This record gives sequence, C-alpha cells and structure tokens, in this order.
Amino acid sequence: MIRAAWIIATTLALAPAAQATEDFSAGSKAEGWGLTGEQPARFSTRVTDAVCALTGDCPADCGAGLRQMVLLRESDGVMVLALKNIQPIFTGATVDLAPWCGQTVTVDGLMVGDPEQTRGARLMQVQTVSAAGSAMPERTNRWLEQWRAANGGQEGEWFRNDPRIRERIERDGYLGLGRETDEAFIRENQ
Amino acid sequence: MRRIPLVPLAFLFFAALVPGARAAQGEAVRITGEVIDTWCYFSGVMGGPEAVVGSAHHTCAMWCAAGGIPVGVLADDGAVYMVMKWQGAPEIADGTALLDTQSHRITVDGTLHVRDGINYLMVAEVLADEGIVNRSHEDYGVVPPFAIPELSQ
Repeated sequence: MIRAAWIIATTLALAPAAQATEDFSAGSKAEGWGLTGEQPARFSTRVTDAVCALTGDCPADCGAGLRQMVLLRESDGVMVLALKNIQPIFTGATVDLAPWCGQTVTVDGLMVGDPEQTRGARLMQVQTVSAAGSAMPERTNRWLEQWRAANGGQEGEWFRNDPRIRERIERDGYLGLGRETDEAFIRENQ
Repeated sequence: MRRIPLVPLAFLFFAALVPGARAAQGEAVRITGEVIDTWCYFSGVMGGPEAVVGSAHHTCAMWCAAGGIPVGVLADDGAVYMVMKWQGAPEIADGTALLDTQSHRITVDGTLHVRDGINYLMVAEVLADEGIVNRSHEDYGVVPPFAIPELSQ
C-alpha cells in the first residue's frame, strides 16, 4: 500500500509531458543496434510493473515476469516502458526486470522510436541493470534460460520450438490466413 | 507562536490529491485497431512500420508476444495503445493470452491511462475480432523472410 501510494504520488507529481528531447547518454556503454531514433541512455530508476504504477495494484514481486515492467526515472519522475531486453531473439525485459521489483537501480540501454511516430514518447531496450552502488552491471539475458527451464531443456531456436507457436502455425499458417494461403505464397516465392 | 490553520492546509492537500486520484482511475475507452508487435513497429529493426504489421509480420508478432514484448493496438488514426491487461488480467507478459489475436483487427472496451506520452490500455473486454484483415504479405512478402523456413532454404 505504501509502495503503491509512493509510486502514484511520484509519477503524478514529477512526470513531465514529453521525453523526446532528453539526453541520458552520459556514461552509457550500451551497444548500438541501428534502431529508429536510437539514443544510448543510462539512468537511475525505480523498477516496478506498469499496472502498479498506473493503478496502485502492486504485488510484491511485480508479477514475477508476467506483468509488463516500467522504470520510474529518479531525476525527473518520467515513466519509461521497458520494451526489450538485450537478447536478439524476440524477447522482452519483464523476466530480467522483475527480480529488481521495488528497487532503485541503474539501467543502461537504448531509447528508441521516432518522436513523430510515437508522439513524443520514447521506449527502452534495457541492456544492463546495476544494483545501487554496484559497479557490476548484469546483462538482461535471463529470458532464454527461463524458457529452456520451462520447456524441458529444449535446445535450438526457442521461437521455432515453442509449442504454443507451433500449434498456431500448424492451425493458421505462417501468415495467419490458413494453410492454403501459405502454400500458394510459398509456391510463388520459392 | 502563530498557529497554522489546519482546515485550509487539509483542503490544499486533498485538492492536490484529487487530480491524481482521477488520473489513477483512467478513462473508459472503446478502441478499434490492429494488434501489433510494438518492438518491431517502433524500433525499425525489421524495416518501416508498414511492413511489420498484418499478415507479413504475423509469425514474428507471435514470437514477440510469446517472448514478452508488449503487444499494442494500432488504431486507425495511427495511435498505438500498449496493452497492459487483457480481459481484466495483468499477467500477460508470457504472451499466451494474446497469441490468438496477433495481427487481428479487434474492438475492445477498456481503461486508458496516458503517462509521459504513452497510451497504456487495460483491456476489459474484446467486443469484436475480425481476424487478419491487413494482407500486408501481398505488398511486403514475409517479414522477416526467415519467418517461413521453406523460403530461406
């Protein structure tokens, strides 16, 4: 309850309207990915889940990786949505950020997005997280390990082997329009 | 010592809190649009935004949803609504609840919270699901090409 009240009060009181022009690149060691509007960003932040920050419904574990996560930047109170982790395999940042729930940490990564397309908002790929006072950043690469543990140690590309995805591709095809559409498309493009 | 009047102070305190309380409640909305993969859409990692929506990007959108990347609803006016709850539940970041609607055109009722330029949508109910209506593969092929293994062999 106290955490919820603190988070709501902080975000409402301090949050400015737009993020597009702010520069948090000082000290960043983020790897460039060549993304739209890419800008390195390193800042101190409180970690929580989005539903908690927006509504005050705040489980102690931030949903243990099942809720989308946000960063409440210490310097200005801006709420940054964490979209991606460092792994180049279609993975988000929730599994990597949930263990830091409620803590103040330093994140390093890339702010992305064309401000015209996002209407001023910026979104973050979080590449590393450092505990307060720690000089040892942890890379945000936990997702694959967790997926493998939940899938019997399955090796290979997870996205080709995930049973939920395989089931849907089997049913609806790669284009989602049915197997016949797939077959015709593949015939035309092979 | 001069005493500070408590009633005006209390009034100011609650007056300051009330707008915040309203914001925390959000706004009831009805949104129609396409369910999209927000990382590929905003980051440009696989090309322009037109190519990473619809049937061209359907398989990759499922990968990203299953991988925990936030799913969005791209409305007809170009606004993107980041889905934070689905049918009332916030535990959506494993993607399972959202896989069957990837790339579909849907209409939902929910609550909108706008914070620092981002639209956060708590979907309460899916009112309509038209399936995939954006046949973007006819213009862009499949994005990324390796999404269909038969085409990358």
